[in-house]
Amino acid sequence: MSTFSVSFRDANGVRILDLHGELDAHTASDLEGAIQQCHAEGSINILVNGEDLEYISSAGLGVFMAYVEEIRDDGGDIKIADLQSKVYNVFDLLGFPVLFDICETEEDALARFEEPAPDAGNASS
Amino acid sequence: MSLARLRSLWDALNLPDFTSDAWRGVLIAIVVVGYALGIGYHLLTWATGSAPALAWRAGYHMSIVLCYSALWFLFSSFLRRTVRSPVRLFLYAVLAGVTYLVLATLVQSLGTGQGLLAGGDASVAGLDYERRVPLTIAAVVKVNLLSLLEVTFTMLTLLLLRSLVFYRRTRFSQFKWRLMMGFFVLTALLTFMKDPADDLGGLMAVAMIPAVGMAVVNSFRLSWIVYLPFREKMATMGLALVLMVLLGFSLGDGVLPDVSSYTRFYSFPLSVFALLAALFGVLYGVTTMLSLLFHLPTTSAFQRKADEVAAIQSLTHLISQVFDLDKLSRTIVASPIDAQSGDVAWLMLMREGADAPLRVQAVQGAMVKDIQETMDVDALFAEVQETQDVLLLDEAPGDRRVRAHPDGAFESLLVVPLLARDDVLGALFVAKDVRYGFEEDDVEAIRVFAAQAALALDNARLFEERLEKERMHRELAIAREVQQKLLPQEIPSLRGTSIAASSVSAYEVGGDYYDFVRLDDDRIAFIVGDVAGKGTSGAFYMAEMQGIFRSLSRQASEPREFLVAANRALSTTLDRRAFISVVYGIFDVGREEFRLARAGHCPAALIDLHGQARLLRSGGIGLGLNNGDLFEQSLEVRTERLQPGDVFVLYTDGVVESRNAEGEEYGYARLKASLQEHRHEDADDLHEALLCDLQGFLGAETYDDDLTLVVVKWHGLPIGVPSPAPQASALSLPS
Repeated sequence: MSTFSVSFRDANGVRILDLHGELDAHTASDLEGAIQQCHAEGSINILVNGEDLEYISSAGLGVFMAYVEEIRDDGGDIKIADLQSKVYNVFDLLGFPVLFDICETEEDALARFEEPAPDAGNASS
Repeated sequence: MSLARLRSLWDALNLPDFTSDAWRGVLIAIVVVGYALGIGYHLLTWATGSAPALAWRAGYHMSIVLCYSALWFLFSSFLRRTVRSPVRLFLYAVLAGVTYLVLATLVQSLGTGQGLLAGGDASVAGLDYERRVPLTIAAVVKVNLLSLLEVTFTMLTLLLLRSLVFYRRTRFSQFKWRLMMGFFVLTALLTFMKDPADDLGGLMAVAMIPAVGMAVVNSFRLSWIVYLPFREKMATMGLALVLMVLLGFSLGDGVLPDVSSYTRFYSFPLSVFALLAALFGVLYGVTTMLSLLFHLPTTSAFQRKADEVAAIQSLTHLISQVFDLDKLSRTIVASPIDAQSGDVAWLMLMREGADAPLRVQAVQGAMVKDIQETMDVDALFAEVQETQDVLLLDEAPGDRRVRAHPDGAFESLLVVPLLARDDVLGALFVAKDVRYGFEEDDVEAIRVFAAQAALALDNARLFEERLEKERMHRELAIAREVQQKLLPQEIPSLRGTSIAASSVSAYEVGGDYYDFVRLDDDRIAFIVGDVAGKGTSGAFYMAEMQGIFRSLSRQASEPREFLVAANRALSTTLDRRAFISVVYGIFDVGREEFRLARAGHCPAALIDLHGQARLLRSGGIGLGLNNGDLFEQSLEVRTERLQPGDVFVLYTDGVVESRNAEGEEYGYARLKASLQEHRHEDADDLHEALLCDLQGFLGAETYDDDLTLVVVKWHGLPIGVPSPAPQASALSLPS
């Protein structure tokens, strides 16, 4: 069956989640747990690296929606970077680029965390 | 080694099976003829008053030995396989003895009857030992009858006791018995042709040693005694005593002094055999009496053991019968108490997904409150769960987890984990009101019992799960039926247009949705959607989407109005991680255009008459992802001018994302190729061809994902037909 795993890294106060394998209805809870854990530990700047993410289903996309609001309310954000084109296409079809910062590279995304996001600024005040 | 060889030799020398009717007939014939010959011989010697020649005497003795050997095998064939209780075996022996006593007394009183008074004088008994002749006709009768009676009784006793000696027999015990019988026969035959008056002296005594020795050995085969209940032990003791007395009579000295002298006159070997048989009977009686006496005090302990075995057996029986957890639990806690292994017993089971995972499922002998106040059952359980082994507290109140109970009800405590398939289901607690109340064998018995109990509980649990599963299955079947009814039952007709649609759920209920509403003669509103949500929640959101489509499409039919309103309606009810992607459109044959918008859904495919294919990928995010302005801002409506031959294909991701065994996706390219190939067919055939191609690619009948496919083909309006023209729709279909 499909395999999925998440590993963690830290860079410049940003928690980076490296996704591996296939994210579908069965494995969505793994990612959900990982984001929940980051949030519980106080990491509000979360960067999801999709370099090794082979596949994502709509249930997998739902996970991003589950926490983004809370994290943005806390002044943080979830950004997504380095997606394979096939996976990006799924994000794109659903209109995720409108809702999330989806960057081509991890560096871009990290840089984006430096800029104050107008939305986040409003939410935290 | 030599013994083993002798044994195998003996086993090889298997005596024929005398149980068949033919053999029995032969044996009976031998007995009758031999016995009749014996009577004839004695009548002859009485009549002539002198013994015949040596050869004649030898013939007589041989025929007697043959006759009684046959009698032995005859009795043996009837008593061979009959398994009776020891009490009854002894009872039969005693009855035989009493019958013998009564008959022998009657026969004794025949004739003069002076023999009784004279006390053992051979001549007075009517026999002349010197001349080997009976003196009176009464003596002839007595010799024959009394010998028969005595030998019959002793033979029967020996055969009845054989059943006991053979209880739980082994080859070795069988061999010992046969050896004893062999010595009996050999010793008896040593006296063949001896005169009744002969004093056998020391030689005979020596010859008897091995026979008696084996008799002693065999008389210690008493294993049947331990299994007797108390009352039967008492009864057997009494009967054994009576039997010993009766055998004592036949040994010679007592009420019937002359019987053995008649038998000896009749046939010396027979009387020796009878003597040895009686001797064995007495020996066996003595060992039985003594053994019973020593076993009486342990009977109750043995009974307890038997009760434990019975309790386990009844539980094993229950496993296949009872699937009711409560009933089973009550039986389980009652068993240790019934078997007197404990005073209090209770069963604690794990509950999945509960706050307090451990709970008392059943208790006997105390109140749940008492238990909970006296000890920390969770800590005790945690230990057995960890070790997966029995926990025995000989001095329970000395343990930090147990407090002293005012009544001293929990002085010793045994905790046995209930293990099934590497899983700790719970634990069986057994307590006694004395310290050191559990012996090693108690612990072992309860451990075995607990293993059975765990199996039973596991079965009950599996059965319940199975029931639950079946119930779920039925519920889902109903849900599926309901959901199927939410899909359009018939496809509306629109002039110049052919439409085909289908939806397949990968599981019982799905999250795919398609629908049509005919708005007026010229317009049909379409929707194809896919709910992303956990499990069956998708089915509910799909139902909600159906309600929204059916009601909103008539009021706010244009794509932008409809989708914005639908997004607003859904954003309050959808779970945060759930969303619905849809394609919504108005097929307007009046204006010959298709206006559609895409809310996060797979783009509709369009192919024209010339095979030019496009994906209509306009901007738009899924319903329920954003409840603010972003949704409306990003939404783009496309208007496609309809050209005759145009085919629109709306579908869910199940079509393009379905993967074959190699993990390859069907993809847009294959969809496009298939469309190009079949674009000239009408909607129904094109729809079927597309599904056929997809299935051919997947190589399987089943799908991993819900799959919806809607095909709309614009055939165009015939020139000169004014619009609107409702009845023209049939004419408009080109062949």
